[in-house]
Amino acid sequence: MKISGAVYLAIITLFLVAYYLVCAVYLNKLDYYNHESLFYIEKAKIVFEGLGNRLKTMGLTSPLIPFYATFLFTPVSYTLAPVLASAVGTAVLFYIIANNAAKRLQDNIYIMLLLVIFLFHPGIIYTAASGKSIYLILICFFLFFLNLFKFYRSNTTFHVSIASLSLVGLIFCDYKFVWLTLFFLPLILAITLHSLNLGEKESIFRLFQSFNSPSLRRKLVNKTFALYIIMFSLPLLAVLCYKLLNLTHASDLNYFAESPYATWNVLIDKLSFDHLSTNTQYQIPEISLLLSARVVLFAPMILVAIYLFRESTYHVLTILIPFAFIEFLHIKYDKVFLAYQYYLIFMILAFLAVVLKARTVKRQGLFKFLLLVLSLTQIYFGWYYLRNSSIAEERDFTRVLVDHAGEGVATDNIDIANYLNSLPSDTHILVDDAIAYPIVAFTKDIRPMIMPYQGNFLSALESPDKYVDYVIVANARNIQSGYTQLNDKYIVSIRKAISDLNFRKVYETDDWTVYRVITNASGSEFGRIGGR
Amino acid sequence: MSVSIPDLLVNDGFLTASERESIEAYAQESGLSFIKIALTSGYISRKNYDRSLLNAGFTINEHPREEAYDQDVLDKIDLPFAHERLFLPLRIENGRVVTLMTAPDDELVNDFIRFTYDMDAEIVLTSDLDITWLSNKLLGEEYVKASVFELVKRDPDSSAVVTFSTAQLIFIFVLIALVAIGLVLSFKNTSIIINVLISSFFLVAIIFKLFLALVGSRFELHQAVTREELRKVDDDGLPIYTILLPVYKEDKLIKKLIWNLQSLDYPRHKLDVKLLIEEDDDKTFNAVKNLDFPAIFEVIVVPFHMPKTKPKACNYGLQFARGKYLTIYDAEDIPDTDQLKKVVTLFNKLPEEYICIQSALNYFNRNENFLTRMFTLEYSYWFDYMLPGLDTLDIPIPLGGTSNHFKLQELVDLGAWDPFNVTEDADLGVRAYAKGHKIAIINSTTYEEANNEPINWIRQRSRWIKGNMQTYLVHMRDPANLIREIGWKGFLGFNFFIGATPITFLVYPLLLLIFICYVVFDLSSIRSLFPDWVLFMSIFNLMVGNILMIYINMIAVFKRRFYELILFAIANPIYWLMHSISAYKGLYQLIVKPFYWEKTNHGLSKVNSPTNLVK
Repeated sequence: MKISGAVYLAIITLFLVAYYLVCAVYLNKLDYYNHESLFYIEKAKIVFEGLGNRLKTMGLTSPLIPFYATFLFTPVSYTLAPVLASAVGTAVLFYIIANNAAKRLQDNIYIMLLLVIFLFHPGIIYTAASGKSIYLILICFFLFFLNLFKFYRSNTTFHVSIASLSLVGLIFCDYKFVWLTLFFLPLILAITLHSLNLGEKESIFRLFQSFNSPSLRRKLVNKTFALYIIMFSLPLLAVLCYKLLNLTHASDLNYFAESPYATWNVLIDKLSFDHLSTNTQYQIPEISLLLSARVVLFAPMILVAIYLFRESTYHVLTILIPFAFIEFLHIKYDKVFLAYQYYLIFMILAFLAVVLKARTVKRQGLFKFLLLVLSLTQIYFGWYYLRNSSIAEERDFTRVLVDHAGEGVATDNIDIANYLNSLPSDTHILVDDAIAYPIVAFTKDIRPMIMPYQGNFLSALESPDKYVDYVIVANARNIQSGYTQLNDKYIVSIRKAISDLNFRKVYETDDWTVYRVITNASGSEFGRIGGR
Repeated sequence: MSVSIPDLLVNDGFLTASERESIEAYAQESGLSFIKIALTSGYISRKNYDRSLLNAGFTINEHPREEAYDQDVLDKIDLPFAHERLFLPLRIENGRVVTLMTAPDDELVNDFIRFTYDMDAEIVLTSDLDITWLSNKLLGEEYVKASVFELVKRDPDSSAVVTFSTAQLIFIFVLIALVAIGLVLSFKNTSIIINVLISSFFLVAIIFKLFLALVGSRFELHQAVTREELRKVDDDGLPIYTILLPVYKEDKLIKKLIWNLQSLDYPRHKLDVKLLIEEDDDKTFNAVKNLDFPAIFEVIVVPFHMPKTKPKACNYGLQFARGKYLTIYDAEDIPDTDQLKKVVTLFNKLPEEYICIQSALNYFNRNENFLTRMFTLEYSYWFDYMLPGLDTLDIPIPLGGTSNHFKLQELVDLGAWDPFNVTEDADLGVRAYAKGHKIAIINSTTYEEANNEPINWIRQRSRWIKGNMQTYLVHMRDPANLIREIGWKGFLGFNFFIGATPITFLVYPLLLLIFICYVVFDLSSIRSLFPDWVLFMSIFNLMVGNILMIYINMIAVFKRRFYELILFAIANPIYWLMHSISAYKGLYQLIVKPFYWEKTNHGLSKVNSPTNLVK
């Protein structure tokens, strides 16, 4: 009886799904939520229950693939859909890696090792139980590199096209991965050079030889260019089309990446950095070269990967590309801390290298022992990094999980949502979901809400008396209040603009206030229906 | 005058002694006349043979078609025998049988005449080609009728002689009526339903094609027959291989054709090559007659009978085929030189149920112009990815027009080609599956001439699309039965592959027009007509569908290492518009003249076509 049989793997995968679900539901009970999953919940509600122009929400919500992945589970529950998706998705990731390991290595120890990582690595548990899109990033990343390495070996179009499709997936799971293409440009030249049928073995001389022969030069240029096209045309065209769709439907090419209505992390990244850098205890952001060192500490198995591929320059270069990529991200997005998934990709890549090359190691016993030690180290540093992350959500995860006390992303929002749920169904509420999406995520019925995706939002903003009964306003204490029109200033300005209009505070939390729209003269509410 | 033709030819230096021995040995073995082998197996040119005869004092009748004939005399002759011995008794005159002959020394024929008519032959020497023309014309009626009606008689449900069955007509008109009623009652909802159905269909069809391409590309390194296996092939053990070459007005290509056939790596005596010329095709006939070097094919003249289609010609030629295996090449085809040996090896490896092997097709003139580049992209994706994909998933394979290799007996049992179907190859592929047979794909390529002229291209494509429609209609006469025969997987594959192709091309320009109006003119009425999710689905399909199809084309030429063509894949949406024009033409013809064969002109390419020698 071999554990590497497909059935056994499927059973382990199912067990992992159950394990992750227990973790997810446990966290859910402790009111652990993060912005990303709340964002998906809210947008899914708009897509399935909203009234008005849902096309934009449907097509331009980003990241697209993780958002659609939650749709599979919305019939179960809107609130649980993201975590269900991530729990199942992480187990699928395990299955994909384990299946490859089983096929190549036929040694249960490696699968056991993988299982240990998937059971105990805090980063993997975070991936599975948080409802974030990390699981899809890891799946696409793994498939991309797996097929790339397979292509190096077999030179078949199949693998390069699957790699390209995986890259599309990766980009639509996290747009930042589009920069990964940049570092493949020189690498592909190296790959093409390697594939030319030349007597010379040394890369630099091969290059010299091919550039000095017209036919070889033509062949090299054609093949390199073709490989670029096969590899990158699909992702780049997909991005181009997506941007054009953004332009036609939102009049902004980068709407999906820059609008708080389209993606969750624009404001969150900005705020978390502002918050930390203006804090009394100033926290030094990651320093460029130290970042790679941090990665090596986080996933020391990557050194083994480099060692295993030491005989092939472009294999090593391929492994080094993610290092260049994160260093680049750090320069490009200098005000954003590097999220946990950018560390996790190295762990996945390292294991992939082990899967591909472990057979070539002679001293298997020692090698497996080394891998075990490295896995345990990775688990420790995984925990350490998560616990001390510069990103609040990541820190929160460990605090809720272990100390049962996070910073409470959700409590305020749940309170407001509960209040709104208690209102009669025919009331209309003005909400700006640029920052209030967590509230909308917890409401039972979003139909009474008037939000920016609807055509009458601007009219309701200017004449709330004619359109709504309640307005949800961000308090001055709410750190995001500067990013919405519905803040304290709005109440003051609208009072000035419409003299007969007033607002009565009916419910308040630290971050939010619910106002009821009333008249100055009578103190009573406007006859919304009559006034319209 | 008593003379031995072999002696004459050897004395004149047109044959060597060893060639003579070789011919005589093969004549003994096959029953063919000496002169037939000499003239059709590349030993001597017709002009040289005529020269020898004239030098020896013989007179050659240049106009045998004007000779009178007596039907009673003809009735005693069997057409295959006349073919084998190159003779034709015409009438009885002055107590002798006036007999057209190519070689006056054929004792077997003289004995036959004496035995059958009880009198001697009055020999009229004439060209073998003229005898072939006359014998087929005068004796071929029974054969040509069989080639047209055999399938209708044997298996009427598989024949496209009836284009639309009654049930299909009822279905089509009921559907049109329902849509019309729906549009009148609720224009909006009906439009939404139609849009959603079309969008879903498009998306599924494209994803299915992507899936097939990926499945196919996965096996791109798979060698159905390896070089090692090929090296082990023993020439003596090879069976007779029939090659049918249906041509019509291909006079310019005859020389190329001979060159390509001569390059085939297969024992000369084991090739049974038949050039099928239509009765009225004087151009090709004269081109063959005027050849000044030896030909390596036998000419068969197909008597006039409607429909004048390639499958009818092939069915006619099939009746005279002698091989164990059979293949079809077009006049301009350049097969890999080792293709026949590879096929024989693969047939020996495959289980009995495999009755056909399809080779990949590609183009030698790919860089000639835009059209040939696009055609190459399309063929690369079709034959390198789609068909292997279908093969892997065990879905019926629509055969390509040429280079499909059959087991001859099984092909005959299957009813051969449907002469009423203008894509008889695709139809035969599905029919073979429906009858429980299998088709395999082989790692060997035949290079053809890509159509380089737009009008000619549209003519060819309209025939293909019309044929796809015919094939779809024939096999969908009884969908339940089709499911029973080829299973659900095959049924869905057939619908999305054969059925979807014409529909996609018919609908594509309409959808594109709507999209352009929507984007360019910002037609708000479209937004008010369709709910957001329908619009989303349509836009998603358009974007994803186009990109994926372009990408599939790119990866196909990447595999072939035609790197310079990769960027042309982007022009596919324009190329598809040409498909759409052809689809509408095909649809029109399906209704008004379903059996009309749109002739594709070959030989337009100015590109030199080297032999594809496989080392």
